[in-house]
Amino acid sequence: MSTDTRADEGGSLLARPLNWLETQSEEVYAYVLLTPAFALLALVAFYPLIETFRFSLLADAVASADPFGEFIGLGNYVDLLTADTNFTQQFISVTLTDSFPFVAFGAPFLQQAIFVTLAFAILSVLFETTIGFGQALVLDQDFYGRRWVRVSIIIPWAIPIVIQGMIFFLIFNPTIGFGTEFMQWLGVFGNNPLSSSTDSFLIVLVADIWKTTAFMALLILAGLQSIDRGLYDVAEVSGASPWQRFRYITLPLVAPALLVAMLFRTMDAMRIYGLIDATAGCETVPSLTCLVIIALQNSRRWATASAVAFLTAVVISGFVVVYLIALRNSEGGVA
Amino acid sequence: MASVKLEGVTKRYEDVTAVNEMSLEIEDGEFVTFVGPSGCGKSTTMETIAGLTLPTEGTIEIGERDVTNLPPKDRGISMVFQNIALFPHMDVYDNVSFGLRLRQYDQEEIDRRVEEAADIVQLEGMMDRMPKEMSGGQRQRVAIARAIVRNPGAFLMDEPLANLDAELRVHMRTQLQRLHRELDTTIIYVTHDQAQAMTMSDRIAVIDSGVLQQVAPPLKCYNEPANLFVAGFIGSPAMNFLEGEVVDGGFESEYANIDFDPKAHGVTPRQDLTVGIRPENVFLEEDSRKAASPTKPFDAVVDVIEPMGKEVNAYLLFDRDVEASAEGRGEGQLLINLTPDTDIEEDDDVRIVMDRQNVHLFDRTSGDAISHSLET
Amino acid sequence: MTDRSTEPGDELTPGADETTLEAAPDGGVADAETVDQPVVNPTADEPDLDRGLIAAWAAKMITNPDRAYRASFYVATIFFLVTTLFPFYWLFVVAVTPRNNLSEVGVFIPAGFNPAAFIEVFTTLPFHRYVFNSFLIATIATVAVLLVGSLAGYVFGRLRFRGRNVMLLLVLVTSFFPPAAFFIPLNRLFNTNVDVLRPLLSAGSLYNTPYAIFIPLSAIFLPLSIFILMTFYSQIPDGLEDAARVEGTTRIGALFRVIVPLSAPGVATAGVLTFISVYNEYFFSSLMTDGRPGSWAPMLEGILRFQGEFEVLYNLMAAASIVAVLPVAILVVVAQEKIVSGLTTGAVKE
Repeated sequence: MSTDTRADEGGSLLARPLNWLETQSEEVYAYVLLTPAFALLALVAFYPLIETFRFSLLADAVASADPFGEFIGLGNYVDLLTADTNFTQQFISVTLTDSFPFVAFGAPFLQQAIFVTLAFAILSVLFETTIGFGQALVLDQDFYGRRWVRVSIIIPWAIPIVIQGMIFFLIFNPTIGFGTEFMQWLGVFGNNPLSSSTDSFLIVLVADIWKTTAFMALLILAGLQSIDRGLYDVAEVSGASPWQRFRYITLPLVAPALLVAMLFRTMDAMRIYGLIDATAGCETVPSLTCLVIIALQNSRRWATASAVAFLTAVVISGFVVVYLIALRNSEGGVA
Repeated sequence: MASVKLEGVTKRYEDVTAVNEMSLEIEDGEFVTFVGPSGCGKSTTMETIAGLTLPTEGTIEIGERDVTNLPPKDRGISMVFQNIALFPHMDVYDNVSFGLRLRQYDQEEIDRRVEEAADIVQLEGMMDRMPKEMSGGQRQRVAIARAIVRNPGAFLMDEPLANLDAELRVHMRTQLQRLHRELDTTIIYVTHDQAQAMTMSDRIAVIDSGVLQQVAPPLKCYNEPANLFVAGFIGSPAMNFLEGEVVDGGFESEYANIDFDPKAHGVTPRQDLTVGIRPENVFLEEDSRKAASPTKPFDAVVDVIEPMGKEVNAYLLFDRDVEASAEGRGEGQLLINLTPDTDIEEDDDVRIVMDRQNVHLFDRTSGDAISHSLET
Repeated sequence: MTDRSTEPGDELTPGADETTLEAAPDGGVADAETVDQPVVNPTADEPDLDRGLIAAWAAKMITNPDRAYRASFYVATIFFLVTTLFPFYWLFVVAVTPRNNLSEVGVFIPAGFNPAAFIEVFTTLPFHRYVFNSFLIATIATVAVLLVGSLAGYVFGRLRFRGRNVMLLLVLVTSFFPPAAFFIPLNRLFNTNVDVLRPLLSAGSLYNTPYAIFIPLSAIFLPLSIFILMTFYSQIPDGLEDAARVEGTTRIGALFRVIVPLSAPGVATAGVLTFISVYNEYFFSSLMTDGRPGSWAPMLEGILRFQGEFEVLYNLMAAASIVAVLPVAILVVVAQEKIVSGLTTGAVKE
């Protein structure tokens, strides 16, 4: 028997650099493997963000060919926060005809947008997490026909936002859909819900929950799948009720996946735009991202748009800190 | 088949030195066991040999080839892990043939070798089982088959029996010895269980705090431990120690004095000395003829008696005032082995003698052994 | 409500019923139907038959909690199915309703029946080309994200190195920004004529090429995948990776031969989420091309094209969306087997 010193995986071109990598310290190895991800992010995310930040420090130049004017420091931010920024005229008048979103009549637009964004993010993530967890628990079961149930539950997530928007637009379109009559029968909605901020907010919320719950369900399901089934047997033998099994095994073990899902869902919800645009329109339910688009497209105020984008990021980062702390405390997390 | 040579191997993590200046030569075909308490650096040492961890300093040679900078796959070694580490998504055949397939052997060669390996560990007919369908012992045999199928220069085994139940462990122990005889390959074995170390190895390497304490055949480590650590670690139940100092006529401690000639052992009066004596080298006075060269008798009182069947362990106190320590044997306590027919009871007063030929002397400051017998 | 919906639940899952009811021959459905019959129940101690349906049902639920959990499972399943599928069904109703009758469309029944809408979708526009564009872009982006994300997820999940938390945060920070925040600089970048690219791209810029969509989208959806893969990869025991390396592969080899297959649920989840996100993306998809099918305009642009200048062709939009959802539905059917794969026994944990 001869001693085995054959090299592996043939003489592929990759073999040499891979072998070199093998003998590097863990740190070097980590940085090398992160290079592709960070190269991609640098090109598509970091570079544009730095540019956008630079833009946000410039003045708007609505009329000129180059939409950016002279350097004004934090002027755009100050204007936004002190409510000196006027978005389009027509825009303001439409929105303020209704009392929603519950801030005082005539409140600065940015505040409304922040309120709408936060309310939407908190409510949608709350409902989507609860319902998504329920769906994931159902999908986790072994039963006849489960494949089709899984597909059915996931399928709303596969529907493009435009279509999702169209479905709910049509449902609540007073001439075509049945939704308005139904909700009026319940005594909730007014005559034309899609032009009422309160009603539209609810429509957008329901539409989002309908579609994006599947996202939560899918991620939580993946977390549930990685739980060692043997633990349940142990728990059952020691007399734990199904609720106790859920409380003491499922929940803690699925926590990392759950928190990652909630984290990304929250960040996503706080950037809501497409769905609003496709149903009620940004004039009716203004979110922070809506402001960015309005400033960008309707009024060519690109510098202001950049500043709003960064304000959005600041608001989101406030939420993220909470999640990072939670993740740090849960096993297998960031810490 | 290959020799393994470590030279000055050191592994430092940020603030801990896991392995310190380890130098060791393992001969071709030798069975060497790294033994030591958990966290002593024995596993890290093995990982540096395998290439899973890169040493901070030092070189490693396998088969007279410097492999310090080679990845694990090119070192010509195979490894059996404590948690068995079978690939759960592959059946037995795929697990065993994994390395051969990576090296692109022809199918016939792979089949032949897998069959041969399966034959050695008696796994015939289980080739398409998944690991989760197998018992712990079967999985362990698959892991061994996976290790031997490539005819590696050296086997590394990291606590391979730790997760098996006691009976299976003893059985696998003999299996491994047989395997070593059949394959005639270098085996490096890591365990914290000195029984495995004693029974299987050609030599054992006792490691503590990342430092090699002694490398010697098991019996030599047992009879002539190089220092206090080895003396206390090897042997079960462990050696008794008495702490005292050298006086003109020999050794003096709070509980017992032993006569010898300091000059003959190269110690000087007032030197801190620890005397070690194994439980089987202490006898009741009436059995003193069993000792080759008995000391003068000491008074003691029986604290606890543990009948073990083939022998009796008796825990003695030198003095009724000695408080039995809660953890391990404290000062003034002594464990002795007696034959099962010995007629003593707890709380009896007894007189004991030690066998001077098996009294070990250690310098307490350095811990190093000075002498393994009082007879010169 | 609860009683009624257990029936279809049982019809749906006859197999499950048989296995669990061995001990209780009166069965789950029997709760509602055997009002007047004496209930023979050897397991539950229940002599009082006059208590009425609800009380008896409640008592049974209390004496046999497993049955209660099972019943609530069916209720939940039915509820989820109805809520998720109904809007989809209604989309179908809209699609087959002739355009002129749209105002008469009902809740469940289409006003007229015009399946030709599904053909019109392809005759009015080369909609298949739009779907193909999107499918291709989403596939490339998914492969790229899984590959790059696997490397990064492996590093963040399994290696200890300085700067780990800072770099992880850096990955996350990109998700704080609305896509619009990337748009202006990227739009300038992609519209710039880069001479280096000339041999590859006729126009010399990325605008109107698939790259213009899948590069930004890969980066935007990368953080989620990194986080998902990180959590899964970190759970694979070190011993398996070590074993693979000793057996003859590199660390990268061990990643793709051992860690990735064992993390199949996570990889499949990340893949499905990325694919669907890219396939359906709204913002970049509508801005990075001129909207013509030959310019790699995605499916979304195709659907928007049915919003004609004078009339919105709702039925065609609905039909087109159903067509567009099909590839994703097939993907989900295939991937869910992986997501809920054979590793359910916790084999990874040894």
